[in-house]
Amino acid sequence: MDIASLVLQFGSTAAFLLLSAVGLAVIFGMMGVVNLAHGELIMLGAYGTCLSYSHGLPLAAAMICGVGLATLAGMILEATIIRRLYGRPAESLVVTWAVGLIVSQGTLIILGPSLPSIPTPFGSFVLGTKSFSAYRIVLIAASVLSLLAVHFLLKRTRFGLHARATMQNPEIARAIGIDNAKIYRWTFALGSALAGVTGALYAPTMSIVPTMGGSFIVQAFVTVVTGGGNLLYGTLPAASGLGFIQTALTAAFGNLLGVLGLLAAVIVSAGVLPNGLAYYLSGKRVS
Amino acid sequence: MIALETRNLVRRFGGVTAVDDLRLQVRAGEIRCLIGPNGAGKSTVLAMLAGHLRPTAGAILFANRDISALPAYWRARHGIGVKFQVPSIFPALSVRQNLKIAKQRRLTGPELGISVDATLRTLKLAHRADDLAQELSHGEKQWLELGLALAVSPTLLLLDEPTAGMTPAETAATGELLKSLNSDGMTIVAVEHDMAFVRQIAHSVTVLNLGRHFAEGSVDQILESSAVLDLYLGRQNGEQPGA
Amino acid sequence: MKSILHLLEGDQTLGRGPRFWCTALVVLVGALVFGGLASSFAVDTASYFLVWVFMALGLALMWGLSGTLSFGQTAFFGLGGYCYAIVATNFGPDNGLTLVALLLSVFLVAVIAAIVGLFMFFGGARGVFVSIITLAISLSLETFLSQTAGPQWKLGSALIGGFNGITSMPPITIPWFGSDYEVTGRAFYYAIVAVLVLTYLALRIVGNSRFGDAMVAVRENPRRAEALGYNVKAVLLAAFVLGSSLAGVSGVAFTTWGLYVSPDTMGLAAAAMPIVWTAVSGKDLTATFIGTILLLALSQTLAIYGSQYAYVALGVVLIASVLTCPEGIVEKAMRLSLSQSGPGNKVRTTSRARWRNA
Repeated sequence: MDIASLVLQFGSTAAFLLLSAVGLAVIFGMMGVVNLAHGELIMLGAYGTCLSYSHGLPLAAAMICGVGLATLAGMILEATIIRRLYGRPAESLVVTWAVGLIVSQGTLIILGPSLPSIPTPFGSFVLGTKSFSAYRIVLIAASVLSLLAVHFLLKRTRFGLHARATMQNPEIARAIGIDNAKIYRWTFALGSALAGVTGALYAPTMSIVPTMGGSFIVQAFVTVVTGGGNLLYGTLPAASGLGFIQTALTAAFGNLLGVLGLLAAVIVSAGVLPNGLAYYLSGKRVS
Repeated sequence: MIALETRNLVRRFGGVTAVDDLRLQVRAGEIRCLIGPNGAGKSTVLAMLAGHLRPTAGAILFANRDISALPAYWRARHGIGVKFQVPSIFPALSVRQNLKIAKQRRLTGPELGISVDATLRTLKLAHRADDLAQELSHGEKQWLELGLALAVSPTLLLLDEPTAGMTPAETAATGELLKSLNSDGMTIVAVEHDMAFVRQIAHSVTVLNLGRHFAEGSVDQILESSAVLDLYLGRQNGEQPGA
Repeated sequence: MKSILHLLEGDQTLGRGPRFWCTALVVLVGALVFGGLASSFAVDTASYFLVWVFMALGLALMWGLSGTLSFGQTAFFGLGGYCYAIVATNFGPDNGLTLVALLLSVFLVAVIAAIVGLFMFFGGARGVFVSIITLAISLSLETFLSQTAGPQWKLGSALIGGFNGITSMPPITIPWFGSDYEVTGRAFYYAIVAVLVLTYLALRIVGNSRFGDAMVAVRENPRRAEALGYNVKAVLLAAFVLGSSLAGVSGVAFTTWGLYVSPDTMGLAAAAMPIVWTAVSGKDLTATFIGTILLLALSQTLAIYGSQYAYVALGVVLIASVLTCPEGIVEKAMRLSLSQSGPGNKVRTTSRARWRNA
C-alpha cells in the first residue's frame, strides 16, 4: 500500500468528517443547540442539487441551488421551532430529532424512495497502481476551504465578532446593543448552509435517498463529541485525528475495523477528554 | 488545636497565579474572616478548602489530616460545611424538601422530620416550608443555604460572602446566628467584604492581596492598619490617591 | 417490610392513596383477564407493547430522577437481545440453560453499562455530552452489527447475521418433570406482566428511597449535592447502570417474544424512541408506563397507513408535546386528575448553557 494513496485516503476520510461536522459544530458551539436534523439538512442540500441538475442546470449551479434549499429550510426551522430551544440542549435533541424524522419521512412520501444519481465529475487519475476519482481532491480542498472560510468569518468580520460575543455572554452582548436573536438566526442559517454544502458536494458520490442524512450524522456527531464546540481547536483536530485512526486501521485490518476503531476512539476520548478536545487545546479555559 | 491549616497553597489558572504560597492557620473555635481587594484570590482559596478546586501545589490540613486530594463529598461527610457566594440551593424543590435532602444522609424516620422542623424554626422559614426555594427572597435563600451547610453537622464552616445582597438587619441577624453557632465550638472561616459584619463576628482577620498573604491580626489591628487601608484605596507607599 | 412498602408512595412518584391503588389493582385484574380471554393475536400484540416498557421505565428513572438523558437505551436493548440469542443458540433449550441465558444477558448489560458509565461520569462528562456519547455508542453498535453478515461472524454456533440479525433460537424453556415447558404465547404474556408489575413497584420504592433523594439532589444541583456529602459521580453511575440494565431486560424480553433480534432495533430512529415516549408522557414512572403503551398503540395503528405516515405523525406529536407541555402530556393529565402537587417531581428544563469557546 503506497504512501500516496494512504495520504489520499486519509484526506478523503478527514474531509468527510470535517464537512459533516462543521455545520453541526457551529450551531452547537454558538447556541448550545444539538441539531439532530443536521443530517436532513445535508439531505436537502443533496436533493436540491439533484433536482436542479435533472432539470438541466449545470452541476455547479445545481449545487448552489442545493445549498440554497438547505439554508432556506434551516431558516424556517429556526424561526418556527429552534428559537424556543436556545440553551436547552436536552429538549433541542428531542425536538430536532423529531424534525429530522418528519423531513426524511416526508421526503419519502413526497418524492419517493430515491432520485436518479449524478455522475461524478472530473474523471479519474492514476496514482501508483491504483486509480482514484479526481473529485476526491475537490472534496478535500472544499473541506479545508469551508473550515477556513468559517474561521475567517468568525474571527475577522464584524458579524463574527458579534457572534462570538453573543456566544460568550448573551446578556452583556445584548446590553451593548447586539441583537441576539438576529445573531442566532444568521448563525443557524450559516450552519444550515454548511450542511447544504456538504450535501451538494457529496451528491455526485452517493445514492440519493431520503434517509441519506443518516450516513453523515454518525460521523458528524462523533467528530463534534470528540472535538467540542470550537472549530479550529476542536472540529479540525478531531476530524484529522479520527480520520487518521480510521484510515490507518482500514489499511491494516479492513473496513469494519476502521469504523470500529473510530468508534472506540470516540468512547475513549469521552473518558479522557469528556468535554471535547477544544476544552483542552484552547488553553484559555478556567477550571 | 489547629482546625484548619494550609501550607504553601498555590493555584494557577493557565498563566495567572490566583493563589500564591498561602500559609494559613485557624484554631478550633475561631472565627476568621478573609478580606482583600477584588482579585485577591479569596474565593479561590475557599473553593480549594471546600474541595471544589484542586490546588496546583501545597497542602490543606483539616484537624491535622492532609485532605488536599480528598473530594468535596468526603469533606462534607467529615464535618466541613460550605456556603457558596451565589446561593446554591435546590431551586425547584420546596424549602422543606431542600432541608430533608440535606439531612437524610444522616437521619431517618421521625428524627428527620423533627430535625427539619427545628431548622425551619431556627432559619425563620417555617412559614415558607412548602414554597419552592426559588420563590424565596435573596436573604431567605442565603439563610436556607446556611441551613443546608449546617445539615452536615460541621465542625468547620466555610462561608463565601454570606451577607452579600442582604439588608443591614439581615446582616446583623446572620452575624448573631453565626456567633451562636460558634459559641457551641464551630470553627468559622468567612470571606467577606462587609467590614461592619467582620467587626461584628470575627476573632481575627487575614488580608489577602494578589493571591498572597498580606496581613493578619485581630479585628482592631487590621481594620485600623494604614497599610490595609492603602491597599484598599490603591495607594502605593502612603501617597495620596490620584498622585 | 412495612417501611419498605411505605416507600411505594413519596415525593418522587405520582399517585398515592387508596383511590390510586384500587385503580391500579383494577387495571391489573383487567390485564390478567385479558390474557385469558382475548385472542392469541391480541395477547401477542399486548406482550409486544409491554416488552418496551422496561426500557422506558429505565429512562424515566435515569432522566427523570438523576437528570441523565441517555441515548444508550437501544444499545443496551440490543446487547441484551443479542446476548440472549447467542447464548441460547449455543447452549440450547435443555436443562434450563435458557434461563441462564436470560440472567447472563441482563448481567452482561449491567457490567457493560458500568464500564461505559465509569468512563463517562468519572471522566467528568456531564449534561449533553453524556447524551451525545451514548448516542454515538448506540449508532456505533448498530453500524457494527449491520456489517456482520458473513459466515466468519459468529460466536460459538451462533451466526451474528449482519443486517438480518439472528432468527432461530430457543424460547425461554423451563425444565419440568416430563416435558419441558416453553414460555410463549399466553404464558409469555403472564410472565411479562408479572415481571413488569414487580419491576414497577420496585422502581417506585427505589425512587422514594434515600437513593432516590440522592438522585434528585444530584439532578437539581450537583455542586450543592456534593457539598452535602453525596458522591455525585457514584450516584450518576448507579442510576445509569440501573436504567440501562432495564433496557437490557427489554432487549431480552423482545428477543424471547419474537425469537429474533436484528440491528434494526438500534438505529437512529430506534435510539430516540424511548426518549420520545418519556418526553411525551412525562418522566414520572407511572406516566411513562401508561404513555409508552399508548404511544406504541398509536404507532401501531398509524403503521397500517404506512410507516412513513406513522413516523411523521409521531414526530409532530413529539414536537407539539415538548413545546407546549414540557412536563409530559400523560403526567400533566395525571396531576390534574390526582390533584397532587409534587414540586420535587417537576421536570426541569436545562438552564441556559454557556459555551466557552473561541
